[in-house]
Amino acid sequence: MVSAENNPLLEVHDLKTYFPIRAGFFGRIAGYVKAVDGVSFRIHPGKTLGLVGESGCGKTTVGRTILRLVPAVSGRILFDGCDVLQIPPARLKPLRRQMQIMFQDPYGSLNPRMNVETIVGEPLKVHGIASGSSRRQRVVELLEQVGLSPRYLDRYPHEFSGGQRQRIGIARALALGPKFLVCDEPVSALDVSIQSQIINLLMDLQARLGLTYLFIAHDLAVVRHISDEVAVMYLGRIVEHAPRDILFEHPLHPYTQALLSAIPVPQPGLRQKRIVLTGEIPSPANPPSGCPFHPRCPLAEERCRQEQQVLAEYEKGHWAACWKAAT
Amino acid sequence: MLGPTRESNSNEHPAFAGLEEQIPPGRSLWADGLRRLRRQRLAVVCFWIVVLYLGLAGFEFAVELFDWEKPAFVRWNEIVGPSYQKPMESYEWTDEQGRSCIRRAWMGTDFMGRSTLRRTLYGAKTSITVALCASLISLAIGVPLGAAAGYFRGWIDDLIIWLISTLSTIPYLLLLMAFAVVLRDRTFWGIELRGITSVYLAMGLTSWVGICRLIRGEFIKRKESEYVLAAKATGCSNARIIFSHLLPNVFHIIIIDLSLRFVDFIHAEVILSFLGLGETDKPSWGAMIDAARAELARDVWWEMTAATVAIFLLSLSLNLLGDALRDCLDPKLRMD
Repeated sequence: MVSAENNPLLEVHDLKTYFPIRAGFFGRIAGYVKAVDGVSFRIHPGKTLGLVGESGCGKTTVGRTILRLVPAVSGRILFDGCDVLQIPPARLKPLRRQMQIMFQDPYGSLNPRMNVETIVGEPLKVHGIASGSSRRQRVVELLEQVGLSPRYLDRYPHEFSGGQRQRIGIARALALGPKFLVCDEPVSALDVSIQSQIINLLMDLQARLGLTYLFIAHDLAVVRHISDEVAVMYLGRIVEHAPRDILFEHPLHPYTQALLSAIPVPQPGLRQKRIVLTGEIPSPANPPSGCPFHPRCPLAEERCRQEQQVLAEYEKGHWAACWKAAT
Repeated sequence: MLGPTRESNSNEHPAFAGLEEQIPPGRSLWADGLRRLRRQRLAVVCFWIVVLYLGLAGFEFAVELFDWEKPAFVRWNEIVGPSYQKPMESYEWTDEQGRSCIRRAWMGTDFMGRSTLRRTLYGAKTSITVALCASLISLAIGVPLGAAAGYFRGWIDDLIIWLISTLSTIPYLLLLMAFAVVLRDRTFWGIELRGITSVYLAMGLTSWVGICRLIRGEFIKRKESEYVLAAKATGCSNARIIFSHLLPNVFHIIIIDLSLRFVDFIHAEVILSFLGLGETDKPSWGAMIDAARAELARDVWWEMTAATVAIFLLSLSLNLLGDALRDCLDPKLRMD
């Protein structure tokens, strides 16, 4: 794969997405859920960034904000040099052709009242790309590309297995020929055997079509398999960001260390030293002072409670947000 | 890097080559629901009973509209025997031509000597016209308002919710009567509201709250679903999302609600007629029951019975059919 270090395809700068909490009779805004609170990263063309974290840490919201499915509060998203957040809603269509999303739930992401041809052909119809028999031809091509038989054209989602549905979801996402695909936990709802098929299909498509992925997941083994770089999110912030092997071999942030130590090792008898995190993930509506991780961090000290370390580069390409990382 | 996968592989395997032709075509949720419905014998019976009622009403309507030659059972106005002739008993009668004959009225006659059976059959037309028109009016108001409120939220939602809450604080029957009284025998924009027109207008204008709330709730729920997000991500317009993604997915709810609400409308028509606000110059079940108030004291039970049985049979069939529809059309309630 060609690396173009200088021109990232996607550049996210200090992105913030807050959801208002309304209370009372008049719907007064009582506070905000800070789902994404200052996230920055860049993805180079043809590469995959894995975004991991616990449920509720805001990783899905990052993906949806990039696609303008939820409004951002502030920040900048540069895609191919153009600022995504500045595009007026009426002129989003050209952007939609460039970036697409596939979803976690294979049962909820396909309209149950539409057949496969309509589902996969809809983007082509909406964008006026193809009609009639040429649209059908394109749908057949897309289905073949994701390993489904064209005989399924008139089938409905409930007649497919989870893995097949995810393939339909991929075909729909690819219909417009995008450069960039947000994969929002595409395999976490699938059986392990089907997971590998879908992951391999995604990697295969990346190699063939030169796609760039933002791969959101909570399964670290899957992320290690598919990603070039990995970013770890905690409570709306990225706490560590590094090339895949460096992150997995030599994690700096205590949260990443705890996450990695939780991966089960398929070797009976091997006793592993686990870092067991205590306590619950704090509410993003009321995040703790200082470092958001300090209430659960085994290394926390007074300084962590008061001020927050920003993401700093400790080695080349290895960023972490922790005072203790230096030591 | 990976070629064909197991899922697609099995289909192309030579051993499965013959099977390919036998794979049935895709079946939509609608087709699937109807197939399930056909398997329930009771629902099928109820369906045909409802169709019979609708057919009868349609026929009576067509006869009046196109001025066809009326078969005997449609001539409800004809005097066929003496006043309050008991059912199933034969009697001597002189018809219009002056010929004397022996006759039998299956369900007896009313005080003017008109056949109760014919009047009951005609009542189906009155009831079904009212229920159908009221349903259409309440759908035409409730569905768009509910869809707009659920999809756009914000001030549109606030406004519609305010309207709903205001309407639902007034007791339904009082509201219905108020509308029926106000609309009765008035002329709006050159259209005269006579007889049952004001009845179904009143019902339609007061009963859209339920369906509106239902649709609003479904829209709020489904708006956040991943298939709607996917449609947004591909660049579908709001209109497209509402009409081709959301409405088809709540349509079965509209149908189920309609089949159950139909019964309420028939009952409401009976109540309004009973209170003297409904149809006055043509037979209706409510008017027949109203007349029976005085008749029961004279041991004339057949008019009351005929109207009640007709209402009972139609209500029961509609209710059972509605329940069966709910079981079959709602994908979440599917048992297998």
